[in-house]
Amino acid sequence: MEPSTEKKLTMPAGRVLGVMLIALAIAALFNSEALVRAGEGMKPGTTRDIVLSVGRPLDDVAGAIGFHLPRKGLDLAFGQEPKTAAGTELERGSNAILRQNRKKDVRQSFVQPTRARPLRVLVTGDSQAEFLGQRLIDQAPSGLLDVTTVARNGTGLTNPAFFNWEINARQEVATRDLDAVVMAIGDNDGFNVQTPDGSLYDPGDPGWETEFARRVAVVSSVLASGDRRPVYWVPPPTARDPEFNRIYRIQNRAVERATRAVPALRYVDVYSTLSRGRYSDELRIDGKHVLARQSDGIHFTREGAVAPARLILDAMAEDFPALRRR
Amino acid sequence: MVFPTIEFAAFFAVVFVVSWLLQPRPSAWRPFILAASYFFYGWVDWRWVLLLAASSVVNTFASQVIARSPSAAMRKRALIGAIVFDLGLLCVFKYLGFFVTQMDDALDSIGLGSPLPLVQIVLPIGISFFTFQAISYVVDVYRGETRAASLVDVAILQAFFPHIVAGPIVRANELLPQLRTPRDPREVLAGPAIFLIVGGLVKKTVIADELARRIVDPVYSEPSAHSGAEVLLAFYGFAAQIYCDFSGYTDMAIGLALLLGYQLPQNFNRPYLALSLQDFWRRWHMTLSRWLRDYLYIPLGGNRKGRARTYRNIMITMLLGGLWHGASWTFALWGGIHGTALSAERFARERYPGFRLPVWVAWLVTFHVVCVAWVFFRAPDLHTAFSVLGGLGLGGASPLVTLPLVFLVIVAVAIQALPREWWRDAEAWLVARPVAVQGIAVGAVIVAADAAVGQQGVAPFIYYQF
Repeated sequence: MEPSTEKKLTMPAGRVLGVMLIALAIAALFNSEALVRAGEGMKPGTTRDIVLSVGRPLDDVAGAIGFHLPRKGLDLAFGQEPKTAAGTELERGSNAILRQNRKKDVRQSFVQPTRARPLRVLVTGDSQAEFLGQRLIDQAPSGLLDVTTVARNGTGLTNPAFFNWEINARQEVATRDLDAVVMAIGDNDGFNVQTPDGSLYDPGDPGWETEFARRVAVVSSVLASGDRRPVYWVPPPTARDPEFNRIYRIQNRAVERATRAVPALRYVDVYSTLSRGRYSDELRIDGKHVLARQSDGIHFTREGAVAPARLILDAMAEDFPALRRR
Repeated sequence: MVFPTIEFAAFFAVVFVVSWLLQPRPSAWRPFILAASYFFYGWVDWRWVLLLAASSVVNTFASQVIARSPSAAMRKRALIGAIVFDLGLLCVFKYLGFFVTQMDDALDSIGLGSPLPLVQIVLPIGISFFTFQAISYVVDVYRGETRAASLVDVAILQAFFPHIVAGPIVRANELLPQLRTPRDPREVLAGPAIFLIVGGLVKKTVIADELARRIVDPVYSEPSAHSGAEVLLAFYGFAAQIYCDFSGYTDMAIGLALLLGYQLPQNFNRPYLALSLQDFWRRWHMTLSRWLRDYLYIPLGGNRKGRARTYRNIMITMLLGGLWHGASWTFALWGGIHGTALSAERFARERYPGFRLPVWVAWLVTFHVVCVAWVFFRAPDLHTAFSVLGGLGLGGASPLVTLPLVFLVIVAVAIQALPREWWRDAEAWLVARPVAVQGIAVGAVIVAADAAVGQQGVAPFIYYQF
């Protein structure tokens, strides 16, 4: 830095503090909705409690005096769509969705892909979706897949106040012409869930599994738009941490349960298939030893994502035989 | 902790007040700023603080031995010991996994199977930066360019939170003298600081993250699925993204340090206006460039030992500069392209001393060599890099190419051409306004930046991974 000495560029620290506090107050007031959402997205703990205890009353005040409007205008200008809303099926719907639409035995038939008209696939979900999307293209027969990958990092089904997957699914199917959807999600779903009747369940409670299955059914129904396209749901694989595995096992069961209610929903079991259900940093792929997991013991590496991508492709080949690997 | 977050805003507001209150008492300020820096650094994983503290202890000990020992051999041993320790840390955390994988592949290819267990090591954030700072400190003490400092001062030099994660790489004689002199609370360089912080925030959220999300990431994840126009926009888009991401980070770092009363070295000086590769490296990541020059290129002999040795030294320096970013062939090739281009430039200068390219041709060639090298820097592997380069000439529909994205790329380059005086005038204008006006202006930019980011949040800075 070579500050000019000709012009006055300095201020006393007290004035700087004043500028900072006013700027933060303005940002907090006009961004109060985003502040609450950020708090909702944090891991349970002191920081989250503080952010929410400050953010919620501030948001009530800001909303009452119309301070949300400028931010809504900016969101519109930047093309940001709202990802949360009150009263969605995800938060308010009933368990009836798990009982109706019992899956038919006959498998649906879909238009088969050709090189002239490849299958348009959306690979979405949390951060795990990123490499799966990339690897799905590599592993598929050349020219038969047109893949779009949209990873929504840090999201899950248990926290619709932070990111509502039902709303996002509606936006995706409305704006894209899709033939199939791959949904890889669950890494961020270790939280308790509140059912529409207000009950609160921790992972491990039978109610948690039912509520999670219901949410999978809600989101997959939207993604499938009835039975128009298959949805391949990929819950998390085994993790290094046994506590995560406890939750991931429940999620896998919940997804399997949801498939019985939503005809177009397919469960891709990565959990018990890779390394026979045991966690390993390494995998042998095509005879080669590869480091398959990132250092967090959850995410696949780019090289390791080949293995789950092949499992997804195998599941897709049940509906689209042209995708069968040779 | 990441700069543009709620947690950091709260952290900095507290640190700002306490730091200025403690300025008159350095004996209290130093432990405080060190504790704050460790808190900042250990926010994600406190164990990294132990590693950082161990590095400070070892390098302080070595520098004290160098400063006090009358024996030249002992001083040299202490220097070598510290460098081996620092590079050892870097090797274990950054390169061991790559080395084992390559060895395993090599053994497998000659039929010996895969006997080595693949290594999964968590890379502590900022290790490349604090390690290089440590090396520069002990070398400077050895060369007599700086005095050996106390453990607390060395620890602050390494851990000072504005620069710990991604630089600038600060030399001891730039920061230690400032630590020894209390700052004047009546003369905070607020004008440049506010512009740097707010400008850095806008560069990161409005330009870098937008380009990454809407064009660069989709194209680099599957180049063959995109048209030539989309690949071309991603080609220029990444050049714009990495400039706005990295310089945005360092602008914020320098601005935050200024608000606390400390000046960090400049790290970017309008790099995309460079008219040669040599010029580019005087403008891009300047603190790394001078580190490589002072602690690698010159000790290797620089340009003092004949033409062939000079070219060799340039190549070694740039290859190692590439590998400093990470253990992969793509970074090696990125460094190799820069080394080759720098050597070619030098050769042309020596062979045709009177020849000068027209300015616009020189700019165009330099900018495009840099952009081609960025392809290897960004691509996850060589196959993807060549697919991007090969995809530049293809046709096809280009739904991802939009006017706003083209505009962002142009803005990222064009802002570097704005006269410095305009910025100074704007800074002086802002400082002369009432506090409330300044606060409202800054607050409005924060609101707009947050709207630009949207619900996905701020993406991690690219240089956090190094």
